[in-house]
Amino acid sequence: MPIVTIDDRTLEVPTGTNLVEAASRVGVQIPHYCYHPRLSVVGQCRMCMVEIQGMPKLQAACSTQVVRDGMVVRTSSETAAEAQRAIMEFLLINHPLDCPICDQAGECGLQDYSFKHGQAFSRFRFEEKRTYPEKERIPLGPHVMLNMNRCIQCTRCIRFTHEVTKTGELSFFERGSHAEIGTFPDKPLDNPLSTCVVDICPVGALTSTRFRFAERVWYLDKKPSICTGCDAGCNITLEHRRGAIRRYKPRFNPEVNDYWMCDFGRATHERYQELPRLAVPRLRKDGEVVAVGWREALDALFHALRAKRADGATALLGSGFLSTEEAWLLRRLAGFVETPHFSIWTDSGPARAIPNPAGGIVGREAAPNRRGAELAGLVAEEGGLDAEALLLGDGASRCATLLVADSDFGKAAHDPKIVERLRAAHFLAVMGWADTPLARAADLVLPVATHAERDGTFVNVNGRLQRFERAFPPPSHVRPAIEVLADLLSRFDPKWASVSTAVVFDLLAEELPALAGLRWAEIPATGVPIVHASAGAAP
Amino acid sequence: MAFERVLTRNVGRAAARTVRGYRESGGYEALGRALKLDPGEIVEEVKRSGLRGRGGAGFPCGAKWGFVPRGTDRTKYIVCNADESEPGTFKDRLLMEHDPHQLIEGCVIAGRAVAANTTYIYIRGEYTHAARVLEEAIRDAYDQGVLGASVLGSGFRHDVYVHRGAGAYICGEETGMLESLEGKRGQPRVKPPFPAVVGAFGAPTVINNVETLCCVTHILQRGSEWFKSIGTDERNTGPKLYAISGHVERPGTYEYPIGVTFQELLDGCGGMYRGRALKAFIPGGASAPMLTAAESGIRMDFDNLAKAGSMLGSAAVIVMDETTCVVRAALRLARFFAHESCGQCTPCREGTNWMRLVLERIESGHGSEADLDLLARVVPNVGGISLCALGDAAQGPVKSLIEKFGDEIRDNLRNRRYPLPRVPFFDLGAVA
Repeated sequence: MPIVTIDDRTLEVPTGTNLVEAASRVGVQIPHYCYHPRLSVVGQCRMCMVEIQGMPKLQAACSTQVVRDGMVVRTSSETAAEAQRAIMEFLLINHPLDCPICDQAGECGLQDYSFKHGQAFSRFRFEEKRTYPEKERIPLGPHVMLNMNRCIQCTRCIRFTHEVTKTGELSFFERGSHAEIGTFPDKPLDNPLSTCVVDICPVGALTSTRFRFAERVWYLDKKPSICTGCDAGCNITLEHRRGAIRRYKPRFNPEVNDYWMCDFGRATHERYQELPRLAVPRLRKDGEVVAVGWREALDALFHALRAKRADGATALLGSGFLSTEEAWLLRRLAGFVETPHFSIWTDSGPARAIPNPAGGIVGREAAPNRRGAELAGLVAEEGGLDAEALLLGDGASRCATLLVADSDFGKAAHDPKIVERLRAAHFLAVMGWADTPLARAADLVLPVATHAERDGTFVNVNGRLQRFERAFPPPSHVRPAIEVLADLLSRFDPKWASVSTAVVFDLLAEELPALAGLRWAEIPATGVPIVHASAGAAP
Repeated sequence: MAFERVLTRNVGRAAARTVRGYRESGGYEALGRALKLDPGEIVEEVKRSGLRGRGGAGFPCGAKWGFVPRGTDRTKYIVCNADESEPGTFKDRLLMEHDPHQLIEGCVIAGRAVAANTTYIYIRGEYTHAARVLEEAIRDAYDQGVLGASVLGSGFRHDVYVHRGAGAYICGEETGMLESLEGKRGQPRVKPPFPAVVGAFGAPTVINNVETLCCVTHILQRGSEWFKSIGTDERNTGPKLYAISGHVERPGTYEYPIGVTFQELLDGCGGMYRGRALKAFIPGGASAPMLTAAESGIRMDFDNLAKAGSMLGSAAVIVMDETTCVVRAALRLARFFAHESCGQCTPCREGTNWMRLVLERIESGHGSEADLDLLARVVPNVGGISLCALGDAAQGPVKSLIEKFGDEIRDNLRNRRYPLPRVPFFDLGAVA
């Protein structure tokens, strides 16, 4: 492998590595706009000009590959810095500089590089800048808004639609200083990944119709998380302000979603606003459902579960929205109650494909963690009352106590007919964050944290175990499901009192061969492939 | 001056547009000779001749052919750059309209040299007549067995296609041309890879100017020694067409040995228009920096002009007399480049337009010396770091404007003389 020297730092890189990538390996950031690791190299923003020993002219780092030994590169020599300064000036002379009303402000490539490589004044002394009249707010499609005046013609978005989604909706029109980005007549930018162009747009030209004007980005707190839209398990950054989720952004993971995520996934957090929230535990007393405290609610559930009635079974119904740890505790509960009636339900969803270097990943279920729940042991036993018997048959009518873990476990929770069927249980208890028709029909309701308010792990379609973290605490009377289940279990065995997700995971890892050697604190940020019997071997 | 015209020998001889008529003046003998040679020998012969590209960059033709991978069965292409759109340039048009077979012969020889079976002649869209003449000549060449499955019965296959451009200057840039040829938006590609490795349709491609390929014909006909005997030195060889326009008595295309002095050129076309004094001249098309009257003794070849800070380019000589407002002349060119910038790379897209705006302000009388200082600082940033040569081209005339006429412009600005009076180019009274 050839050896290259970048700003006095020498390293060895595979033949053909471009200088932007090579430099980043030794911590040198070469400024760039048009270059993106997953898109073809066009070398047209000219921001990444560097000096290479022995070459008379500056070279674009993105289009210069290391193919031989002894290349000596200077990224911030006087001439390179001057070129970078000149490009910043060129990019800004016609830019509207409307940062105060621009959504990109705070995470804008122009702002960042201006600060680092630009100058604080303008030499462009003309009253009129080049503008694109009537093109300040062009909806390119349902999810993306274009403001042509802010565009720096880097063409990342165009290349994305041609090379990643292969839909080719966007193109370059006109030329010279009037060159612009656009769609063809009657062919809007409408593909499952369309909002990714907003992520890769280095400036405020492309904004998300969802996020536009929702929040200044510097007010956002960010946490690494996993999308719950399907079982692909896209890595995301959950961005919120004081507990109000503003957006999901893809978090780079070459094994899963690469740099991308789908429009559907980005919108999944909107469900937390769309559905009413369960705020306090509720218990039916003398036919009337009333708010109660947690102790009373859990005692009532404990008694209902422990009272082994001759006239009915005790059944537990989990869902693919449970974290692996929650599912495992639910399985422990089944053990304490000594019931064979436990299972999970997951809606199958439309296929959601995300390209990645390994050929892509396709999620096919409408919940993120069926595999994790099954791994934790929530696999229906032969002859037990399983999800199908409960949801599609008359299984519930044979139940003395039925606990449904997730009030919003699927479409069925909103279907009056199925709710009616589940209601046939003598005592119906429901855990969840959403006040769904199912929750309203229940005898006992336990309000638990949303996805953003808990931590845990999911196992995705390829058998990759991935960790997500709590972004913010749940509302005052709401508790994370892991805590609620532990509290309930401690009534059977005191050792379960106040265990955290981390403790549960470590116990789980000790028990399951598939997770052998893993510890909560050591799960890598991009997850870890595990061997899982029902999901098949990990790729 | 005594000099045998070679490239233009068939100009005005209508019969030369047919294969039979072309043969009368020794046509297709060179091709016959080339077909008997080993392809490598053709390349060597062209290398020995010292032929440099006539399109503008002056890259050694033989060396360019040498970059094409040899000994593979891969498809290769010859692309003839006939997208002659540099302002002031009209030499290739003459060659195509009057002597199409000279070009076709050159194309086939080039094809033989690099083992390419196809030539695309990418011709400027506005050259409708030249395209028609070429099409007819190609049809005739097929009928006479010069083109097709077996060129002159040699068993070597070669096809020639004319591809008409749609009017963009940038498609004269070789990779922009390839994009356009492939049916895409005509904008330059990032290099490397160079066209000799990845060119048209992903195949190794040789791109040569019309005049270059015509020279190849004569090198094979008369030998590299003959070619080398013409010109200034071994780096500047062969006959050269000069397209002269502007304030001269008889503008037009003239053939001279390369390295003729500007003064000889001027004398050859009847001197300055109406005997006015020379103020400035552009020696090599719109992108070449201007030179002044003081430099009129300069030899018009690649190296001498480069030494003087300008370039031979396409050898389009634009002559300006004392009545010219040089700022207006530079503005005219700046407008052209701003209009023709493809818009993909930042310095060219933004810089050409900025230069235009500043020059407009100076020319119209609203400028100040600060504008000239600004121009001096901004212009160097436009070239050098742009993706293709258009950025470099655009800065040429403006840079020389500041260097050569800076004091004059400052004086005019201080005395508020802008806009300078417009002197009609044609004296209508004289025409009548």
